[in-house]
Amino acid sequence: MSCNSSVTWVNVSSVGQAQRVQLHLLPCEIEHNGPAQVSQYLTATIKDCKLEKTVSFRGRGLKGQELICPQGYTGLVLKETNKPGSDQEDRTVKVASVFDKLIYWNLETPPNSDDTVVMAMDWPDLAEAIHGPVED
Amino acid sequence: MDLSPFESDNSVSCRLVSEIPDVCRTEDCCLGIDEAGRGPVLGPMVYGICFCPVSKKQELKDSKVADSKTLSEVERENLFQKIDESKSYIGWALQILSPNTISTSMLQRTKYNLNALSHDTAIDLVQYALDSGVQLKEVFVDTVGPADKYEVKLSKRFPGIDVTVRPKADSLFPIVSAASICAKVARDRVVKGWNFSEDMGDVETDYGSGYPSDPKTKAWLLKYLEPVFGYPQFVRFSWSTAQTLMDSKGVTVHWDDDEEDGEKGAQRQNNKSMLAYFSASAGGKDQKSTHQTHRFFSDRRLKSLDTL
Repeated sequence: MSCNSSVTWVNVSSVGQAQRVQLHLLPCEIEHNGPAQVSQYLTATIKDCKLEKTVSFRGRGLKGQELICPQGYTGLVLKETNKPGSDQEDRTVKVASVFDKLIYWNLETPPNSDDTVVMAMDWPDLAEAIHGPVED
Repeated sequence: MDLSPFESDNSVSCRLVSEIPDVCRTEDCCLGIDEAGRGPVLGPMVYGICFCPVSKKQELKDSKVADSKTLSEVERENLFQKIDESKSYIGWALQILSPNTISTSMLQRTKYNLNALSHDTAIDLVQYALDSGVQLKEVFVDTVGPADKYEVKLSKRFPGIDVTVRPKADSLFPIVSAASICAKVARDRVVKGWNFSEDMGDVETDYGSGYPSDPKTKAWLLKYLEPVFGYPQFVRFSWSTAQTLMDSKGVTVHWDDDEEDGEKGAQRQNNKSMLAYFSASAGGKDQKSTHQTHRFFSDRRLKSLDTL
């Protein structure tokens, strides 16, 4: 917001100690923010088929695939440990974990190259072309 | 009955079959269809067919196969043994619809209801018998829904075969009772020995009959409710019993095809509800940003982030 003068800092020094984790991007909104029994319920029931992975969540069929972070990039999971009391204060988030790939899931639709999150990975290359230094 | 093909992956539907008796390929046969485990909130639904030569009907009747529901579990197991021992003239085939298949079908974007799923399964099994060379002349079907409509549907699908659809067919026709016994025995064994693919440690297996009205089943569902994931795949998520428990004691999950109405739903989907036009803040105030994002970004749901 333009009226908010506070700054959010990312504590990058925590990258070194951060654990590499398995990430799942689900096609739904879960009203929960915190730990969940992902390996016991989700990872344990994933089936690897020829072209895709399948699993179900809450009785709905999901199809997914692995997506690798663009080259030269690392995925960060950020966590705010000390929430500021007011929106005027600066905020600091630390790197809770890192990832270089994730599994994204579609609701019933087989994964393909038109999926939003796959296409989103085009941006770093394009950004480099637009904003990168011009060489003669 | 070897259940291992299903048990190796109990998340999908699986077909188990007996050998086809030679005599069924040369003589006119009758075939019965029945299902087991339609109502329970736990475990698979099993569809069964049994077939034998029309000339053996009396023999089958004399073996006293009766409607599987009126039998105890032990009696059913014994009768299944009898059917299995008569493999020179009785054949069977089962389709096990896993609870996960039932959940994901019924909750599909384009809903696939249990009746349609049942009809399609029954049709596939009859087709299997035909494809295997069984000389089908008569088919007897037990039904839950309206019998006459189903009878017309099956007769059209299988011209030349005399189809009889009746409620409680399992107590009227011995070949249907036999199918019912095969289906029920398979369901009982699968439920008893359910292999949880979730990592849940020691799971209590005292889940009762699996019917939502059974206090033991209720207690089990209450005990094993997981707030985020809901239940293991052993539970039919499409049953209102499971849905109600997850709604009241679990975390809320929204899908993009949810039918949410009212202002909240509209808000979540970034639409304006009709009511919004009457609220105090109505007017141009909302349109702060006249800046239009390029389609490249909106297609990828990319947004520049200025605050967390």
